[in-house]
Formats: sequence, structure tokens, C-alpha cells
Amino acid sequence: MIMRIIKKLRSNRLLIGPAVLFGVALVAFSVLSLTQSTARAQQTLVSTNPNDIAAGAVLYSEHCQSCHGYQGEGGVVSGAPSLVDKGAAAADFYLTTGRMPLNAANNEALRHHSIFTSAQIRQLVAYINALPQITGKGGSGPTIPTVQPLCQNQGTLAGQSEKGCVTLSEGQQLFSINCAECHQAAGSGNILSNGNVVPSLDNASLTQVAEAPLVGPKPMPIFTELTNAQISAIAQYVTYLHHASNPGGFAIGRIGPVAEGFVAILGGFCLLWFAARMIGNRG
Amino acid sequence: MTDTLDEKQTPFARNPRHFGIDPDEPWPDDVPMDQDDTRWRYQGDPKGAKKAERRIAAAWTVTLLASIGLAAVYVDGANTQLAGLCWGLAFGGLGVGLILWARDLLPGHDVIASRGHHNVSSEADRIAVAESLGRGLDPIARRPFLIKMLGAVGGVFGLAIAFPIASLGPRPHRNLYQTAWGKGVRAVTQDGTPIRPSELPVNGILTVFPETNPADALSPTLLINLGDADYETPPQRVGWNIPIDGKTGIVAISKICTHAGCPASLYNVVTHQLVCPCHYSTFDVLRLSEPIFGPASRGLPQLPIAVDAQGFIVAQADYSRAGGGPVGPGFWNRG
Amino acid sequence: MSTTEERIAAQKRLRAARAGTDTIDERLGSSKFLTSVLDKIFPDHWSFMVGEIAMDSLIVLIITGIYLALFYVPSSKEVVYAPTSGHVYIPLVGQKMSEAYQSVINISFNVRFGLIMRQAHHWAALIFLAAVFFHMARIFFTGAFRKPREINWIIGLLLWQIVALEGFTGYSLPDDLLSGTGLRVIYSIVESIPFVGTWLVYALWGGRFPGTSLIPRLFVVHEFLFPLLIIGLLTAHLMILWHQKHTDFPGPGKTETNIRGSRIWPQYALKAGGLMMLVSSVIFLLAGFVQINPVWIYGPYQPYTVSAGAQPDWYLGWQDGAVRLWPHWEFRSFGHEIANPFFPGLLLPGILLGVMFAWPWIDKKIYKDYRAHNLLDRPRDKPFRTGVGAAAVTLFSLLTMASGTDIIANNLHVSYEAIVVALDYLVIIGPIVAFIIAYKACQRLQEVDFHPIQRPVGGVIYRTRDGGYHTVGDVHHGPAHDVPAETPTDKRGSGDDGVEHGSEKSVPAPTAGD
Repeated sequence: MIMRIIKKLRSNRLLIGPAVLFGVALVAFSVLSLTQSTARAQQTLVSTNPNDIAAGAVLYSEHCQSCHGYQGEGGVVSGAPSLVDKGAAAADFYLTTGRMPLNAANNEALRHHSIFTSAQIRQLVAYINALPQITGKGGSGPTIPTVQPLCQNQGTLAGQSEKGCVTLSEGQQLFSINCAECHQAAGSGNILSNGNVVPSLDNASLTQVAEAPLVGPKPMPIFTELTNAQISAIAQYVTYLHHASNPGGFAIGRIGPVAEGFVAILGGFCLLWFAARMIGNRG
Repeated sequence: MTDTLDEKQTPFARNPRHFGIDPDEPWPDDVPMDQDDTRWRYQGDPKGAKKAERRIAAAWTVTLLASIGLAAVYVDGANTQLAGLCWGLAFGGLGVGLILWARDLLPGHDVIASRGHHNVSSEADRIAVAESLGRGLDPIARRPFLIKMLGAVGGVFGLAIAFPIASLGPRPHRNLYQTAWGKGVRAVTQDGTPIRPSELPVNGILTVFPETNPADALSPTLLINLGDADYETPPQRVGWNIPIDGKTGIVAISKICTHAGCPASLYNVVTHQLVCPCHYSTFDVLRLSEPIFGPASRGLPQLPIAVDAQGFIVAQADYSRAGGGPVGPGFWNRG
Repeated sequence: MSTTEERIAAQKRLRAARAGTDTIDERLGSSKFLTSVLDKIFPDHWSFMVGEIAMDSLIVLIITGIYLALFYVPSSKEVVYAPTSGHVYIPLVGQKMSEAYQSVINISFNVRFGLIMRQAHHWAALIFLAAVFFHMARIFFTGAFRKPREINWIIGLLLWQIVALEGFTGYSLPDDLLSGTGLRVIYSIVESIPFVGTWLVYALWGGRFPGTSLIPRLFVVHEFLFPLLIIGLLTAHLMILWHQKHTDFPGPGKTETNIRGSRIWPQYALKAGGLMMLVSSVIFLLAGFVQINPVWIYGPYQPYTVSAGAQPDWYLGWQDGAVRLWPHWEFRSFGHEIANPFFPGLLLPGILLGVMFAWPWIDKKIYKDYRAHNLLDRPRDKPFRTGVGAAAVTLFSLLTMASGTDIIANNLHVSYEAIVVALDYLVIIGPIVAFIIAYKACQRLQEVDFHPIQRPVGGVIYRTRDGGYHTVGDVHHGPAHDVPAETPTDKRGSGDDGVEHGSEKSVPAPTAGD
């Protein structure tokens, strides 16, 4: 029975197209899924355990010292700054996103698979965090921020002004005015001047999104004037974007009109071109 | 009459080679004598016709099922993807069926017919229309004064009729050259909070608005902390920044791109450049925000800022020519 | 069923049909007209259907548009988004937005089938213009704009421009961040017009940007003004086409004075209806499965925010690309200024469109051909025109690509400065190279291929109603026949000397019993 259907499809050109389209549509539809975003708080504590700091010092001397100098004092390679006053957030951000260690100081620091385990990262962060005490110089930079949770009643007007939690709406507004111009409204990334890349935020974790504005990883500016609530709101919104349902179907990267144009011409119109050729004559 | 004139000199003259047939000649009836437009594809092949019928029925069955499915989809939450599938299949099945029916079971294929006529009138008819027009034109032409007066009056009247268009909007206004900034106007963020210089870190950038009228569309301004970067300051802009630790510190740059008005706020801290995402003009903040790439040709204007008695950032004055203003894209009377 | 029964049934049907047409005829005297309608022939070449695809997309646009207009609120009044029932889009709760934007969010999330109608409307617009571009190219490359069809060429170009503006006003109605940015750019382009720029923008927008009345006025333009113009022009376009009859490629049995194809009834009517269904099918499949213009992610428009990746819809890409690639010229003197956006935004399109509007007459001058034609050229028959067309297609394609310089640069991991500079050179060199390649290709194809009018093929004779015997492929001379001198640009066969020809291919004209 199935062989007969397949034979029929093979022999009748007109039916192959619709059959394929239907199959593709079926698969596409079953792949689409809606998930909820995580609304919980996120807290990453910086370790002050002396064992961690010592282990971090060892790791530092093996992987970081050649550029950032002894005890993070810098001045070894131009472009590799001193780490003494950078703080735990910077260390955690650069290490968890794999931007560091960098092969050459002139390379652009881009997201990369991290070579460290999370335990090693904890140790390195502990060490960097302890540098002001170890060296006796410099103030401490921003610590790893605690991301506040989403408000339970954020779907209502009254829920917008609850304390101790943040709303997606506030996150969307802050993202729009501070972040969207570089990272694009849906966080799909873009390009800056001089070949500098603005990365997509699709792979950024909740903590990383909260850390980046505090760290200002070049070429990105610093946004420490934002309060913890505001940073949390932005981080929660970006995380929401990752899981946000696309009620209209395939989001085609949420890039916008460029992608839509491609689909309309290469997909939509080409299908109809095909239909016209089937209906009409040639030559 | 017209045959003696060159074709190009009389563009409206009859073209004797219209489709290769003289308009006075009868239209050729070059249509094959025996053609049968009652033929259809499976004529004489009842088995093939039956198969064709079944194909069409299959296509229309898809339509039937999809239409019923559509009703179910609507009732059950109206999911967009399912609706698209049902609609797509319903239309598609109907269309495929109709086309197959026409192709396989209906006559009217491949017939030749005459185009019928020259689509050009005979000389007599052309003379008649010109004479009908002339019936009016000739006596009108005898009154040149009236024609000239109608022309003049018509022009003025046309302008008069156009007057309601002026109600569409106000006349271009001084506000083209002004923003809502002024002496002592505090800079506030999106939620209305004023700013102290210490809150903006080095390499930080912040969008601020004039407290008195935050909604003014030309007023959005970027506060940028340049730290100790070497900011080129011409004599007329001395004191327009807020120095920090004796270095350049904070400068206020208009956010509205001077090319086409989009917010030019992509800030590259490595090169101290502002980029506009619409057409990618790049402005060098350290060099009076002059454009160094892209279609913009004027720098982003700078706003003179200072610190007020309470320690908040305020403007010293509105954007001015000395600062590269007025704000925004260019226009004829920009000056 | 026996033949007698079939005959009786057929007679019954004929009587019933007659009753219908007689009823109408007694009121309108319409029998002759209706016969001409039912018997009319449409040539069958597939490329003649692309205009139909455009029209079918327009029908989908009108129907979905009316539906959307019943829910859309054309108001700039500021409201706070806080729905108390139905689906709430949480990231917008508590935000200030225009009523227009809120109504579009409502359509997308709260109206059953609202989102698919919105998406169908938008996808239909994109496909509509793809079909328009393809159709325009087909007309150009086959010389279908020649006399007597210059009027339709003009109407078609006008339709293209109005439809593009209709699309622009349409996607600006939601008042979201992306389309509002586009409106800001248009404001600046109109403002840059010398002398009257600022007057115009103050009148149209109701003041200095963002004005007070833009959304309601866009609504009027999008729902009334442009649709009236489009429907009027399209009606004229189709009526002229109907009256002049469609052109066709040279081929077996085809001459300047006849037409070969399918009868409107029942063939073409059903095929056209079927094509309309297929167009709707594709549009609704896209509308269901591919998200377009998710305005809830962009957020409501603010003049002080912008999203990277700010492009117009693809069919306006060539204008945005021109603005991105244009050098930073601005002319300032004596207190006056012609601002930069004027040149790529208005002057360049004006020049390009001016050439396109004038093309039928330019073509006449180039080929010294003032005759009327019902038979088309094949592109290879007119190398110069095809070369110009190839250059134009290349230019438009490069400019459209230039609209996405940032996205191209990001995906190719190259700086956007490099992309812009490369495109700056390509838009000059590319069309020239395309012209040369197309020109040479046409000449080569003419050498290799036999032109349908050049090589008579004997063997099959048919008799026409006016009594003559003709061979398929024979040269048939009309009474005032005159072969013109060949123009120097086209060495081989102008393909058009005012005489009718058949094809050299040995497929005969249809005869009974085939």
C-alpha cells in the first residue's frame, strides 16, 4: 500500500511538490514548541576560601600571567590591562564566556568555549577578587551581581511597582534604550565600527547578561549607573527572549526585514514561479 | 495625404506599417480552417479521464478536510501554525483541483483566433474625431483674450483651492532650530531621575532628557564619560565638558544623527566612535564628533553642560551653532 | 448514458444557459460582448502569469486588509498597556504606547486568527512586489512595452511606485520601533528637499518631528488614497490589456494578426482561479509558519531608541541601500543647504525612474522602430536592450543588498566599512559588467540559435479562412510590407520588421483530430 503511494508520488510530478511541502510543514510544526522562561533569582557567590584563592593563583600563573603580569599588575603586554581593581564580575564574565584566555592581546575577545571547568573558574574568580588584599593596591571592582527574580504579578499594572522583584516590562524598556541599538531588539547581535563585533545574546546566561553592563567588556560601554534592579530586569528580559515563544511561527533569527525579504522572494515567490511553470507552457 | 510626409515629422500620422497591415485593408483571417477547441486531454481515454477525476477528487478532499480542520482550530485556541496549515492546504487543494480539471478534462486548449481588428480607426473616423474636437476648438481659438485670462485666472484659482492644504500643519517654525534644553535645565534619565557626574563611570554612556520637556524629539542627548581621552576642544567650546580629576571627563553629545535623524548611539569605547545604525555613519567623538565614515557630513552637535548647586548635571544653554547645531538632519534654511 | 440522453441533457443545459444570457441581454444588450469575453484567447506562456500572481496577492491584501482595519485603531493617543482580560503580553505591561500600537498587539494576541491575518497581509505585500519586479522585468526583456502598449508600461510603473508606498505606509501603521525609525528617515528625506522641504514636512506631519497627526493620516493614505489609486490604475491596466489583447512570443502558427492560446471559458478562467487559490495557499502557509514583523519585540516607537538591523521591507531596500552607499556630499552656501538625504533619497530614484518611464521612446529611437507589435522579442533578439535590462537588474539587486550592509558584514565576519566600500565600487562596475556579459551572450545565442522568423521550414501547409494556403514557418507578406534596414547595433535579425512569421520549428498549427 505504501509502495503504491510512493510510486504514485514519483510518477505524478504535480503531487510531489505538495507532498513535500506538507511533510516539511508537519515536521516544522512538530518542532515548534512553547516554553516558559525561568523567573527565579540567581545568586552566584564569590568564594573567599583560601584554598580556592591559592588554587586560583596557580591557575593564574599558568594561563594569565604572561599577559596580565605578576599578581595582575599589568604593564607586560599593551592591551592587557591590570586586573587588580577589576573585580569578580569581570573575571567571572570573561572566564565563563570563554573570552579569556586570549591567544594574542590584539585579538578581539569573543565568546568562545571555555577551557576551564566551573571549579577552576570559581578559583580564578576568588583569586582575582582577592587581588586588592594580596597586592595592597586598588579598590575592588564590581562583584558578581545577584539577579533579582521576576515579580509574580508582573502581568498587572499594580505588579509593576513591587519591590524586591523586577518585571519584564521594565527590562524591555531598559533594553530598548540601552542595549537594542547595538545588540538588536531581539538580541541577535550586529556590527560596530572598525570591525568590532556586537555579539548575539542567544547564548548569554542570566548572570552573564547582568555582569556585562557592570564590566563593560570592550568595545561595549559600562553601565554601572544602572541599579541592581535595573540590571536584573535587563538580564531577566534577555533570558525571557531566549525562551520566548514565537507565536507567528519560525522566527528566522528575529533578524528582521532582511530575512523576511529572503523568505518572501526565495520561498514564497519561487514557489509561485514553480506553480506558473507547471500551469503554463514553455517557449 | 499623409503618405508624403516623413514618418518622424508627423508622429500622429497614420503608420502604414501598423502590424504590417494597412488600416484600410481588411484584417487577415489567418486562422487555421480546421481547428477544434472542443478537444480535451483525455478525450477517447475514459480510463485516463477517470484517473484524472480521481486526482481532482483527492485534491478537493484535502480541501474539505482542511476546511473542517480550520473550524476545529478556531474553536480550540486558534493556533496560528495549525490555521496556516489548514488554510494553506484548503486553498492549495482547491487550486490544484481546478487547474487539473482545466488541464485534463476541459476543452479550449491551444486555439488560434484572429486578433480581430487593427485597433486603429479608419481615416474617416480619425477625421471625424478631429472635426468634432474642432467644432469647439475653432470658436474657442477666436477669443485669445479669454484664453489668456482663463490661464491666468485658473492659475490663481488653483492656488486658492490649494489653501486648505495649509491647514494640514503649521508653518516651519523657529522650533526647527531649538530643542528643549536651556540654561539651568537639568538632565534626567528616562524615569525622570537627575544625574550626578560621579554616577557615570569612565567609558559609560547614558541617554538623558531635559527635565522641563523630556518628550521633545530633538532633545535626547548622550552623556559620555571620556575619562582621560584627548578631547579636541576648540575655543568656543571651552568649558562645555565636566572635567573629572582634571581630565576631559563627561561631554554631552546630541543623540539625533545629523544625516537622517535616527539615534546615533552605538558607542565603540575602543575607538571612541558613535555609530548610527540606520545608514552606518561613524562619528569620532574625540574630534568634535565629526563623521569619518558613512553618508553624514556634519558632526553631532555638543551641548554645554555644568554642575548645578545640588551637584546634578545641567545644561548651560541650548544647542547652538558654536556647538555644531542646530540638532538633527539638514534642511534648506539651516544656515 | 446513451448519446440520445446526452444530447437531451446538453439541450436542456443550453436552454438553461440561454435563459440566463437572454435575461441579461434584454437589459444590457450584452450577448456580443459576453461572447467575445467567453471566446477570448489568452496565450499560455508561463511568464504571462506573473502579473496575475501580483493581482492575486493584491486580492489577498484587500481582503485581509479590510479584516485588519476592523480591529485597528488609527490613533496616536498615548495609552498605558494593561489589559485586564484575554492574553496579556507581559513585557509590555505598564508601558506607554499609542493606541494604534496597542490595537496591533491586541490583533496579534487577542483576536482569534488575528495574527495569521496580520502575517498573511504582510507576506502578501512582500510577494506582491516580488511578482511586480519579475513582471516588470519580463515586460522589459520581451519588448512588450512597445507600441501600442506604452500607456500600460507607464501605468505599470506608476502602480509599482504607489504599491511600494502603500506597503511602506502599511507597515508603519503599527507605530512600532522599526517602522517608526523608517518614518523618521522619510521625514528627513522630505525635509531635505530644497525650498519646500520644511514646509512639506510640517504640513504632512503636522509640525516638527514627530508631529501630532501622523498615524491617523497614514491610515487615510493607506486605506483610502492609495487603494483608490491602485484599483483605478489596475482597472485601467487590465482594460487596456483586454482591449489590445495580450502579446505573445513568435512561434508555430503565430502572427502579428492572430493570437494563440486557451479560451477564457472554461480553460483560462479555471486556471486563473486555480492560480489565485495557489497564491493564497502560499501566502497563508507562510503566514502560519514563518513569523513576520513581530512588533511586540520591537516595542512602541520612541524617537530616542533604535534597534540595530534597521532596514525597510525588501522592496524599498534599493532606496535604503542607495542612502547607505551615497558619499557624504552636502552643499551649503549663503545660509542654505541641500542636505545629503536628498540625493540618494529623491534625486537618484527620480533619475532612474525617469529613464524607466521614458524607455519605450528611448527604445524606439535606439532601434528606429516606430511600428506597433503584437509579437514579442526574445531577449536575445535585442542585445542592447537586454544589456541595459541586465545592468538595471544588477544595479537594483546590489542596492537592495546594500540595505543590509550591517547584516552582511556581521555574517561574513568582515568590517562593515569594507562591505560599504566594496559595494560602492560594485554598483558602478557591476552594471557595466552585466551589460557587457548580457550583450555578448545575446549575440552568441543569436549565432547559435535559429531565430523563429529567420529560417522558414516547409512541409506543413494549412489553409486559412480567407482562402490562402500557407506553409507553417512561411513568410507571409502583408499588402504594405516593407523590410527596414537593419540597425547597426543588432547585426542579426531585429526580430521585428512588421511582418508576421511563423516558427521554423516543425510543430504544425493545430488541426482536427490531433
